[in-house]
Amino acid sequence: MGFSYADPNIRIQLTDNAGLIKYERDCAGQKESRYLGRTFSAIHILPVEPVNLPETLTHFLEISFPSLLISPGAEQTVYLKFPVEIGVFLESGGKTDPLDVFSLAPVKFSLYGSPSSGVITRWYESDLYTDIPVTDPHREGLMSLHIKNSGTETTTVSRAVFDSSSMSLFYGDRVAMTATMEILSPLIAHTTFSDTAPADCPNRAIDLYLARGFSITNRKGYFMEAGTI
Amino acid sequence: MNILGLFNLTVPSATDVESTVTSDNDIFASISPREILIFIVGIIAAYILGLVISHHIRVRMSHRLKKDQLDILTGIIRAVLIIVVIGISLPGLLDLSVTIILIGLVAIIAIIGVSSQKVISNMVAGLALLYESPFATGDFISTGGVSGTVVSVRLFSVRIRTTDGVYVHIPNDQIYSTTVSNNHANVARRYVYSVGIRYQDDVKKAEGIIEKILETYTFVLKNPAPAVFVSDITADSVVLMIRAWFPSNWKLTQDDISLSIAILPRIKDALEAAGIEMPYAQRVIWFANQPTIPIDTASKQR
Repeated sequence: MGFSYADPNIRIQLTDNAGLIKYERDCAGQKESRYLGRTFSAIHILPVEPVNLPETLTHFLEISFPSLLISPGAEQTVYLKFPVEIGVFLESGGKTDPLDVFSLAPVKFSLYGSPSSGVITRWYESDLYTDIPVTDPHREGLMSLHIKNSGTETTTVSRAVFDSSSMSLFYGDRVAMTATMEILSPLIAHTTFSDTAPADCPNRAIDLYLARGFSITNRKGYFMEAGTI
Repeated sequence: MNILGLFNLTVPSATDVESTVTSDNDIFASISPREILIFIVGIIAAYILGLVISHHIRVRMSHRLKKDQLDILTGIIRAVLIIVVIGISLPGLLDLSVTIILIGLVAIIAIIGVSSQKVISNMVAGLALLYESPFATGDFISTGGVSGTVVSVRLFSVRIRTTDGVYVHIPNDQIYSTTVSNNHANVARRYVYSVGIRYQDDVKKAEGIIEKILETYTFVLKNPAPAVFVSDITADSVVLMIRAWFPSNWKLTQDDISLSIAILPRIKDALEAAGIEMPYAQRVIWFANQPTIPIDTASKQR
């Protein structure tokens, strides 16, 4: 049993060493090597929720972007970029298990809210696009964010925080997500994901949360209660 | 009316009490194997019921309570169930009146209370810790001169593993009556470091180098933003203070040493690579009467 994938930045290889399968990965110099003590029927390499590296410290993704002023009642759809993490899954007996996660995107953490009541987030800075920008699918994905101001005050938005346990990730020509941000007041906003696949990204990625055996209790999104700036 | 009359109990005099209490042999002679079996089955049923209730509590409350709190709560529920079953079935089994059981219970509680004040004090403190939950298993805490990771929180004591691997057992009343610092109570924690540079070095350049390191270091939080500034000008050096926030649940913030090892060598190497050096301690000494030091010019010329 053998498998090999290589591009200028990523090399993945599975070799059979006298019945023992060796997995090797090199992602821009970040190397991983291990032996697999079991057989499998398929290997899947897919984008996963970008909150796993270098270790799982949070399940929140925060995207920071240039300030956008939204009037009461107004709605605006913008495009943002988000970091892509790539998961390697092994399938056997109808079960899919995660083997490895790696990424070419830079990793930075941040705090949303106060140290006592806030949350640690995987932080990413994106530009704000009104048209679909070109993305490197190995490095960054495209988020379509529909912002709606249901409050009574004009609100400035410069960041969005998402709970990855409610994330729906799709891939095709690019990696994509569709999200909504409803502003309830200048201090409170609600972010959710859409389960509908974008036209050019028909394939649903495997939820790493589920593959790791966690049960998802939150599909209702995240309430940003520490402001949108 | 005496106090027993308040509860309408039928113990008119001490002699009646004596007559009610038969000898041990008589008590056990009157117990049939069937009654013993029912008693044992009752206790087993209470134990199983306790396990079932505990399981349901764990499933339903695991996202609200910490593991230690769940352990103590389920333990109390199981103990209460067994005590209730014993309390209900024992009087009938031993053919004792409720009054005798109550008197016996009060006597036992009084004896335990007098002889085990410390134990009870620890238990009460344990319940208070359970309610307030200032820390949980896995947290790194400092209390009473001891710092380490909490291994378990029990009804009477807390067990801590220090960074050098020593197991420390601390009674609950001691912890409850002293200051406890918990490194993990908040999701983020600020660390402060001081770095001294020489007087002739460019302060702005040094600050820029350190800020760049903090910016590119994954675990230094973007918000709150790290800060680097001159905090002191000492006799030997210009002291730069570094303030940076890190996630509390990151493994290197388990103790202060691990983080220092990860951060400080990077800063030192980057500063030295830019020609900025750590200063040596130095003193300029002025003599009141300038001494005459003979200079051997002949040997210099040779």
